[in-house]
Amino acid sequence: MSFLIPCPNCGKRSVYEFRFGGEVKSRPAPGSTAEAWLSYSYATANRERPQKEWWYHTHGCRQWFFAMRDTLTNEVTETSLPEEAP
Amino acid sequence: MSDKTDSAHRHGASPRGSDESSTSPNSVSTNAGSTRQSPVTFSFNGRPIQALPQDTVASALYRAGRRTFSRSFKYHRPRGLLCVAGKCPNCLMNVDGTPNVRACTQPVQAGMQVTHQNAYPSLDTDFMSLAERFSWAMPVGFYYKTFTHPWMWRIAEPLIRRAAGLGRIDREFRPEANHDYEHVFAHTETTVVGGGPFGLQAALDAAERGEDVVLIDDQPALGGHLRYAPGENSTLPKAFTGDTDESALAAVISRVLDHPQITVYTDATCFGVYEGNLLAIAHRGLDSPAAQRLTQLRTDQIVVATGASEAPLLFENNDLPGVMLSSGALRLIGLHGVKPGERAVVVGQAERAESTSQALQAAGVTVAGVVGPADVVKAVGGKHVTGLKTTTELLACDLVVVCGNWAPDAGLAAQAGGQIEWDEARGVFATGALPPGVTAVGAATGAGLPPSLDTARKNGANAKKTFVCPCEDVSLHDLSTAIAEGFDHIETLKRYTTTTMGPCQGKMCKQAAIDVCAQETGRTVRETGRTTSRPPTAPVPLGALAGPHLHPVKRTPLHAKHDELGCVWMDMGEWKRPLYYGAPESKQASVEQEYWAVRQRVGLIDLSTLGKLEVVGADAGKLLDKVYTNRFSDLRVGRARYGVICDEAGIILDDGTVSRVADDRYFITTTTGNIEFVQEWLEWWQAGSGWCVHVTNVTGGLAAVNVAGPKARDTLAKLTDRDLGNRRFGYMRCRRAQVAGVPSLMLRIGFVGETGWEVHYPAEHGEHVWDAIMAAGKEFDIRPFGVETQRVLRLEKKHVIVSVDTDATSNPIESDLAWVAKLDKGDFIGKAAISRAQARPPREKLVGFVMDDNVLPPDGCVIIADDRPAGRITSVRHSPVNEKVIGLAWVSADLAAAGGTIGMRVNGRLVTATIADQPFYDPAQERLRQ
Ligand code: FES
Ligand SMILES: [Zn+2]
Repeated sequence: MSFLIPCPNCGKRSVYEFRFGGEVKSRPAPGSTAEAWLSYSYATANRERPQKEWWYHTHGCRQWFFAMRDTLTNEVTETSLPEEAP
Repeated sequence: MSDKTDSAHRHGASPRGSDESSTSPNSVSTNAGSTRQSPVTFSFNGRPIQALPQDTVASALYRAGRRTFSRSFKYHRPRGLLCVAGKCPNCLMNVDGTPNVRACTQPVQAGMQVTHQNAYPSLDTDFMSLAERFSWAMPVGFYYKTFTHPWMWRIAEPLIRRAAGLGRIDREFRPEANHDYEHVFAHTETTVVGGGPFGLQAALDAAERGEDVVLIDDQPALGGHLRYAPGENSTLPKAFTGDTDESALAAVISRVLDHPQITVYTDATCFGVYEGNLLAIAHRGLDSPAAQRLTQLRTDQIVVATGASEAPLLFENNDLPGVMLSSGALRLIGLHGVKPGERAVVVGQAERAESTSQALQAAGVTVAGVVGPADVVKAVGGKHVTGLKTTTELLACDLVVVCGNWAPDAGLAAQAGGQIEWDEARGVFATGALPPGVTAVGAATGAGLPPSLDTARKNGANAKKTFVCPCEDVSLHDLSTAIAEGFDHIETLKRYTTTTMGPCQGKMCKQAAIDVCAQETGRTVRETGRTTSRPPTAPVPLGALAGPHLHPVKRTPLHAKHDELGCVWMDMGEWKRPLYYGAPESKQASVEQEYWAVRQRVGLIDLSTLGKLEVVGADAGKLLDKVYTNRFSDLRVGRARYGVICDEAGIILDDGTVSRVADDRYFITTTTGNIEFVQEWLEWWQAGSGWCVHVTNVTGGLAAVNVAGPKARDTLAKLTDRDLGNRRFGYMRCRRAQVAGVPSLMLRIGFVGETGWEVHYPAEHGEHVWDAIMAAGKEFDIRPFGVETQRVLRLEKKHVIVSVDTDATSNPIESDLAWVAKLDKGDFIGKAAISRAQARPPREKLVGFVMDDNVLPPDGCVIIADDRPAGRITSVRHSPVNEKVIGLAWVSADLAAAGGTIGMRVNGRLVTATIADQPFYDPAQERLRQ
């Protein structure tokens, strides 16, 4: 694993500067079923192709942001700060 | 080697060479690339050997008459120089304590200590060569067939380890073998791997386009095969094809070395291509045999110009010393000025055999005959070749020069994701379609290579002594047997026989193994396919991969004080903390003294390692309410509260205190070493929320101490104007105050169970405040205390340490912390899971216990009930005040009731303990509220 991630603040950096935050999932509303919470906590879609993920620039600007990463090639096509996300 | 390559090699953190080297590049007329001018002496097995300036260890030994350079992996057959290019396993030696150094590419240094490997007592007489007599007992797949019971392997392993394998690690410390390895990170636009004619051309082309270029070559000098064998003008790239001086090799190399856009790494092996065009490059140390630097080079474009490797042909005894590849013989002559033999037989096809014969003759070698590969029966000889038997005659000779097949070194292109395709016309696997950012030039593409011969012929010879894989001693017979046993796919054949898995990484054996597999299975070579290329393409010393011995250490602002006081240090993550103060042999006494100081008088502990965060903003309370299980938005200014952070599954992640220092400002402490995580976690839940809140890590900026004990108030009262009385500064309150004249934040909290204050203050005043407190406490006989004492004190209070007493399955309900989960407040992280945990009967509970006898079980000891494991101890200590052994343990819920008995085995004896539901000290919390 040695791909590059374009941080929205800092530009292209080695993946080792970042922390992976997992797939972007929507948190169940309070009062949801146990199944909904379990799948939110433990299940991943693990899609084969670009997926939206959380990344944190630990050794850089210390910001969480979204990245579209192709899970087959590790190509990161697009990144954005959460505030800017549509 | 030029000054420029030198400086890039020695100092260059960036691939750009330093510009101070204005001296002209060294002459490359010594094609070995040596910088030494006069002969030197080194030692081989304790005997002095003379080396000329152009020598490697192997060429000097060869000139001195040595012919056997190693013994083979399994059968201990004698092996001599084969490729003379660092590509085969035959010349591995121990140099200055470093095992498995390829002697044929290792430049000589004066005084070098070289020893042979893998043979006893000597290379010429190796008792282990008896192994070959028992080759019937070591069939292919020997390990899998023979050791069918674990006990067999236990007996056999030490014997096999002694007999097989390559090299030995020197466990003794030897200064000359103690290398400093370093890792370098660099980036460039274009990287050309391979400094042969096409690599040189590619580097010039890219540089002319204005790109920054790195050119890498694994030999000591640029030029590729042109260093020792002239190229046909027609097959060379354009820089070489004129008739001017400019087109001579030396001139082209000068152009490259002088070009400001090009940085050259020689003696550097690119052994892997990783994602995102990251190249791993091992540099041989200039003054040591081990690779001393690993460069991770990020590049936009990779040009694979790795050329091709000549591989042996298959005939009986093709591994005898004296049987040498044509390129090996030409390298000995051209690079080192060594005559490879007196009387040679050349095996090869017309044109190549002819030109090789001419080169040998020019060097003074008599050519006894030229034999077509199809006519060879076997090489003859005991420890060295004495002749070559053909289908018609026996030709006496002391050298057999094999014009083997050239196979493109396309491994890096394959690793980069490129296609490797079978070129039927040339009979080679070469680079095909390549991904963006990767190109290939020269022989790696198959261009210019002579057509391959069919290697898979037998000629009725002994297939057991026809070696396909010299590294792992795999014979033609072994391959046929394995295929007959059903390992007929090239990938399974590789794994079963270990062909291509040795130091040459397939350079000597890959194509031959494919040819044999194709022939035996009746498939075409294309159908047979090839094995996957993975890093490393060439051997890399583990030290180079491991890199320098760097280990980050964090020291508190009070570190020097603790040293002065003579503490015993402990590591807590990256932090150094005093475990206790005093001599290691009196640990028990020291801890007890520290303990009683806190319980009866006053003690002082350095808490600077605690993680510290400021959470500031109008929505700070909102964020904390969401992330912590308890409520903080309603915390009044000037108050502190204990808090726990859980994840969405209700698992405890961290704990600490949260103090509200102003309406919009909270001060948080986290577990030592967990600060980065907690900060990330808070920022994550804030991300995208639009809330007005900032999280700042202030750990490094603040020192912190805890002053605790019945005399803590009297001690601190001397240093601050703050009223420390209970009415104005009660338990769980926080106040800003001047302490010893330093602006501080004081928190009245009681982890150790006594009246006490945490004082957080600017790190630069670390020692000043510490000294002031020590002076103020002198009349009360104040003592500094360490982590061990703190652990005893807190255990008596049954205070849980997250990640000591809890683990990745612990929720607050089961951890006896149900009170921190405010299930009546709004949504928070983990609420759903904690609610579920509360609704169902617990499986396990964290409980306190008192040992019935005064034995001290170890931390982690298993709890036993009904002869079955039923839990584990997380913390256990002797409690001085109770004069009993007390602890915390996870036990199954049915055992958790107060007064119940649990068992455990200590030193082979079954002992019991009684569950206690109250703290072991001051259960009414009176002392810490005093
Ligand atoms: S002879 Fe040295 S590696 Fe082949
Ligand atoms: Zn960044």
